[in-house]
Amino acid sequence: MNGKPKIGVYVCHCGTNIAGVVNVEEVVQFASTLPDVVVARNYSYMCSDPGQALITDDIEKYGLNRVVVASCSPRMHEPTFRKTLLSGGLNPYFLEMANIREQCSWVHEDPIAATQKAKRIVEAAVVKARRLEALDVKEVDVEPACLIIGAGIAGIQAALDIADAGFKVYLVEKSPTVGGHMAQLDKTFPTLDCSACILTPKMVDVANHPNIELMTYSQVEEISGYIGNFDVKVRKKSRFVDMDKCTGCGACADVCRMAGRIPNEFDEGIGMRGAIYLPFPQAVPAKYTIDKENCLFLSKGKCGESPRCKDACQADAINFDLQDEIVEFKVGTIIVATGYDVFDARKKPEYAYGVYDNVLTALEFERLVNASGPTGGKIVMLERGKKKKKKEGEEAEPPKVPKSITFIQCVGSRDKSVGNEYCSRVCCMYTAKLAHLAKDKIPDCEVTIFYMDVRAFGKGFEEFYDRVRREGVRYIRGNPSEIFKRGDKLVVKAEDTLTTTPLEHETDMVVLSVGLVPRSDNREIIDLLKLSQSSDLFYLEAHPKLRPVDTASDGVFLAGVCQGPKDIPDAVAQAKGAASAAMIPMASGKVKVEAQTSEVNEATCRGCGFCVAVCPFAAIELVETTRNGWPVKVARVNEALCKGCGACAAACLSGSIQQRSFKDVQILPQIQALGVK
Amino acid sequence: MVDVERLREIAREVISRDDVRQLIGYRQGTYGFRARPAFITSPEEVDQLIFSPACVNNLATYLTLEEKLPVPRGQEPDLRKVAVMVKGCDSRALVQQMEEKAYERERIVVLGIPCTGVVDMDKVEKRFPDVLSRGEITLEGDKFVLSFDGQREEVPKEELLADKCKRCRYPTPLVYDQLLDEAVERFADDDYSDVLELEKRSAEEKWAYWEEKFSRCIRCYSCRNVCPMCYCEDCVLDRLNPQWMRRSVDISENTAYHIARAYHLAGRCIQCGECQRVCPVEIPLMELNRKFYKDVEELYDYEPGTDAEAPPLLATFKVDDREDFIL
Repeated sequence: MNGKPKIGVYVCHCGTNIAGVVNVEEVVQFASTLPDVVVARNYSYMCSDPGQALITDDIEKYGLNRVVVASCSPRMHEPTFRKTLLSGGLNPYFLEMANIREQCSWVHEDPIAATQKAKRIVEAAVVKARRLEALDVKEVDVEPACLIIGAGIAGIQAALDIADAGFKVYLVEKSPTVGGHMAQLDKTFPTLDCSACILTPKMVDVANHPNIELMTYSQVEEISGYIGNFDVKVRKKSRFVDMDKCTGCGACADVCRMAGRIPNEFDEGIGMRGAIYLPFPQAVPAKYTIDKENCLFLSKGKCGESPRCKDACQADAINFDLQDEIVEFKVGTIIVATGYDVFDARKKPEYAYGVYDNVLTALEFERLVNASGPTGGKIVMLERGKKKKKKEGEEAEPPKVPKSITFIQCVGSRDKSVGNEYCSRVCCMYTAKLAHLAKDKIPDCEVTIFYMDVRAFGKGFEEFYDRVRREGVRYIRGNPSEIFKRGDKLVVKAEDTLTTTPLEHETDMVVLSVGLVPRSDNREIIDLLKLSQSSDLFYLEAHPKLRPVDTASDGVFLAGVCQGPKDIPDAVAQAKGAASAAMIPMASGKVKVEAQTSEVNEATCRGCGFCVAVCPFAAIELVETTRNGWPVKVARVNEALCKGCGACAAACLSGSIQQRSFKDVQILPQIQALGVK
Repeated sequence: MVDVERLREIAREVISRDDVRQLIGYRQGTYGFRARPAFITSPEEVDQLIFSPACVNNLATYLTLEEKLPVPRGQEPDLRKVAVMVKGCDSRALVQQMEEKAYERERIVVLGIPCTGVVDMDKVEKRFPDVLSRGEITLEGDKFVLSFDGQREEVPKEELLADKCKRCRYPTPLVYDQLLDEAVERFADDDYSDVLELEKRSAEEKWAYWEEKFSRCIRCYSCRNVCPMCYCEDCVLDRLNPQWMRRSVDISENTAYHIARAYHLAGRCIQCGECQRVCPVEIPLMELNRKFYKDVEELYDYEPGTDAEAPPLLATFKVDDREDFIL
């Protein structure tokens, strides 16, 4: 096959996309005069069945061994025509595309000049085609196991789907319990399903599923390898409680000297816990954890005469000597489902969050209305950070109930001043839901919502918004400028933009409908997996429309809010999508890897390692070898990891890295053909 | 001034070490005032070593220039360290080479020479032509003292000092294991007046200027061979497939060669001036390198060869890098 090049050139009209500007006949005429071109043709749609048949027929008839298709961007149809070559019996990498659409007909108006340019582009492609080499498409085996990072609703759903399909799942969760943010919610919009009732059965399932190995209070420390063969190292942090012995009875937590003195993260700091704790009664696994920063025994070395928890534990589960454990395993695919943080309302100082006790975030309010929350679901005025002085025999004063509650939407969303241009997609509806719950629990409470726009785009959303308004919740269009205190009351200063009236609205409690933001620790995952971020800093999918759960790293998928704000149904849908995407390589057992990879000339590489630093896929490493008996370091490319981006080839100071199909010997003549004549 | 006895004593100590195989320093040249590199492998040879304002060569070049012959079968490669004497400017070549991971710091022993300036040998020979017997140059205060054929001549330092020394920001080496003398305080600074002069010319004037200079080039590649930063295993000029540049000596290929070399040194040239010193046809190569040097300093606040830990400037980028100069 590698004898004299026999090139076929196929010029596409692309309907009128190309032929409307470029004189394709003339380009074909010109192409047929170029050295080694055996046949040149044009056709209205080269990518269509008859178009592709022209190519396969010519391969047979003329014995073509190189094909140039002059049409659109290779991004569009390179895979199509590679398949054409393959079905014609040629190595698919003997294809060269000349982009005369995006780079010619679409950007030029003068037909004569555009035709000239098209000829040059075709000539350059022909020159390069003569120097193309056959490349092998390699396959690697896929380990039938999946690592899922994050056990919120998205991670849980993906884990269950994959495990049910018969593959092994390692589900790693940073906090002591699975469930994520959904476990904190009371009801879900717009159906008002009880969040716990629909979530907790799934939490139990992931813990009990024979194919799922659940690792809570654990963190992924290292990931190396590539699709099909990732090596994972997980640190299981010590809980100082023996997981096998703990029965979850709670006797330890009751007696902890720190009980009720540490803000409980799960309750957003509204409720309190001790140093040994279960985040919430339905936590999975139902095992206690000692928070070593706050435990008197672990932080100060002394807890009274002896630690009370240890004395109280009948199962003898508490062991202060327990160490972190490192677990290593191999997986074929990875799903990232690390979720989100809520916007830090302190970044909007005009709303006085953190200044006044009764300015809450929506998530705090969520815990307040939650039947399993710190107040048992009673909405009460908060007295934060105040130690209740209870004198002997004196009954504690019952907490006050707010007579009016005001919500402010879009706190930290659609707000360039805090750098978040995007809509968080859930706040309009959760605000409506919380307003409904407030009305439900305190019927005479006056509920007001300040909004910019109400976006009720989902199934049943508009109907729910209507219902809430009918229940007497007052919507005022306007973004408040300030919150201050007047006497006992909070005053929200705003302008009703529908009537252009400035107003000062007095209220007992303000709830800030904070948006969703990328997790503050999302850098950890980026460093582990070399993920990209979109401009809003959520993880970037491979294609916004057609590959929404894939990432640029093969075998790594995204589920849930880590990719962008979503409500529960969307997060679950994406999790199911990610699960099915992850199962494709696992089910087929093999994956094809990129053939246009980089190669290192080890004879000239001097091991500076700049290629290692620039490689976004961690595909290059320095290895020790010898050259003429002298020890040297050289770069070596892991072809299964290499995506053929070419960054290394550009960074190499000594020109020792070349990318297949884009080698200097292939590109230079191409540039020469495009040069001044 | 470095005391030669002390220099030899330290050198003797270094070359006697088990883990050092060679010491690269200076010795008297064969004629005139010249000094030349000395490659010392045993304590007996140490008495050849000198240091004087005639020691102009940048010895850092030899660390990467050394040809590594294949190790005969059954033998182990000699991996002992190489010791090298460096002036302030030369030391920056070491720093830049290490920044580019040419070798590791522990592979070398650096004898640092705090430098008060070296002569421009062309100026010396113009002033004292036809001195063939061995002569000596020393610095006494602000005068160079030249002794030859029983004569002794004093010349104001200014008149024979190399141009690069007149704008030297780093007279004391930036990297060393042992300093051979007290550190020297900076006695000059770089105001880029020469570059500013060049920048003032029109494109046509510049082209006419460089066309004349490049047309003289005989492609001897001395500038490449002497450059401490030209140390690829396989130079782009030697490659035939693809052949980036033809070997023909004409204005087109000569120009391509010098522009390519200047670009390869952008953000890497450490201003030792060796290329211009060795050019047999007097092409002012440092004018090209210094233009890049000034641009890099202004655009990125970066001086090559001053921080071995910094990433090489043009192999990295920052999101907030300046880009207003991009057309």
